Amino acid sequence: MIHELPSQELLRELCKPWLASLSPQHVFRVYTDTSDFYAIEYGDILLLNHRLYLVRHNAKEGRFGLDDEVKFWVKRVIDLQDGVTRIAKLVFFERFTANIGGIPFECFRSPRKEARILDLVKGHPHFMQGSWVTDDHDNVVRIIDVIYGQSLAAMIEDIHLDHETYFHQRLPEILDHYIACVEAIAFLHQHGEKHGDIRRDHILVDRDSGRYRWIDFDFNFLHRENMFGYDLFGLGNVLIYIVGKGDILIQALRDTNPSAFARLNAEDVNIVFNNRVANLRKIFPYIQEPLNAILLRFSKGNTVFYDDVGQFLSDLREARALFQNTANVRRSP
Amino acid sequence: MTSPSERNLLIAVDASENSKKAVDYVGRLLGGVGGDFHITLLHLILEPDADYFPSKEEHQIWIDQKRKESMTLLESYRDALIAYGFEGDHIRVLTPIRFCPSISECILEQKDMLEYGTIVVGRKGLSPKEEILLGSVSSRLVKLARNCTVWVVNA
Repeated sequence: MIHELPSQELLRELCKPWLASLSPQHVFRVYTDTSDFYAIEYGDILLLNHRLYLVRHNAKEGRFGLDDEVKFWVKRVIDLQDGVTRIAKLVFFERFTANIGGIPFECFRSPRKEARILDLVKGHPHFMQGSWVTDDHDNVVRIIDVIYGQSLAAMIEDIHLDHETYFHQRLPEILDHYIACVEAIAFLHQHGEKHGDIRRDHILVDRDSGRYRWIDFDFNFLHRENMFGYDLFGLGNVLIYIVGKGDILIQALRDTNPSAFARLNAEDVNIVFNNRVANLRKIFPYIQEPLNAILLRFSKGNTVFYDDVGQFLSDLREARALFQNTANVRRSP
Repeated sequence: MTSPSERNLLIAVDASENSKKAVDYVGRLLGGVGGDFHITLLHLILEPDADYFPSKEEHQIWIDQKRKESMTLLESYRDALIAYGFEGDHIRVLTPIRFCPSISECILEQKDMLEYGTIVVGRKGLSPKEEILLGSVSSRLVKLARNCTVWVVNA
């Protein structure tokens, strides 16, 4: 594609508000093909679908206490048309075999899938929002609106209450928000799409609206019979995390609560992650039976599985109704 | 008295040992007994999302490779059935390339297109964690199948 590239003077003028740290001699490199994302750096310009973006820094992703991993294909950018900070996700082809509980999954990044989902969920309050364009090399670049706020995992980690107080005072509201998130996944599945990477750090708690919102839909894998099985399992894991106010790890329990540890048997752990307790009622006896019964569906001792998210959601709503507290949830306007 | 469609058997297979056992079971049970049975050996080539392939060329190479593997597999099953006494012209092979959200539903679509009275599959014997993460084709086939019989051959 032939582009009329903007002049250095124009770019300098447009970028002035964000260029305090750039040298006055800085020469803007303008990219219309983003294939070589390693070469695209701070102060470069992306020209995509007649729109200019000033590149800031690469995004990072931290998880489970590991150092943040730099994602060179994910750039923070300033949209020079409206001055808003956005995220540009460039195309990174990656294919690998993940081992989940000893079961190999052939995984790959799928920009087209994420682009399809962005179109599908446009205006949906429980998903990240954005659009996509193709560059000169037909790379599907996704331009994502930034969600300011903590991940669900970080939010729960920051609650400094004992479990029983948390359970009665905070969990009902958290469950209400979580149920709205599960409804959002049901919406995806009804439209033939899977999220693909459901984790507690892929839900962000939007600082502005208080809503929980799903992020990162570009993960994909070769499924077998149940295309949505892994999503459903992920939802169960997040629920166990929420109800437990974090992971209840077997090893830690042995030291901190030996009497509860003594009550556990082999069937009480997570069906895949055998170091985590799923039968939380044995640790926290005030967890109501119906809520615990959902957790047990994801335990090693279970033989009857949910077929779809609808069944999970139905049980979850019934379990939520048993809480005495009325949650003060900020609803959609 | 059985209807002609009841004598059409669809054996859905892959390269696993349990599929081989399902073919052997049908061969032992019905091979050489007459009765005008017609067998179709179905091997679905499960097509991934387009992003799975870095280029169109790699996608085509993948398709060619899978087709070749599939035909080799089905020919071996066909030979096995002939050895059990089926006539070669009563056995057909199908290798459609499909994106299947659910393998069992894709099998049932084939059944509906060609009027089979019986579907035969091998049972893999999944562990509970495999069942929750991957799903069981045979369990779901049994659940969803209408107007036909499903034989699940235990490996």
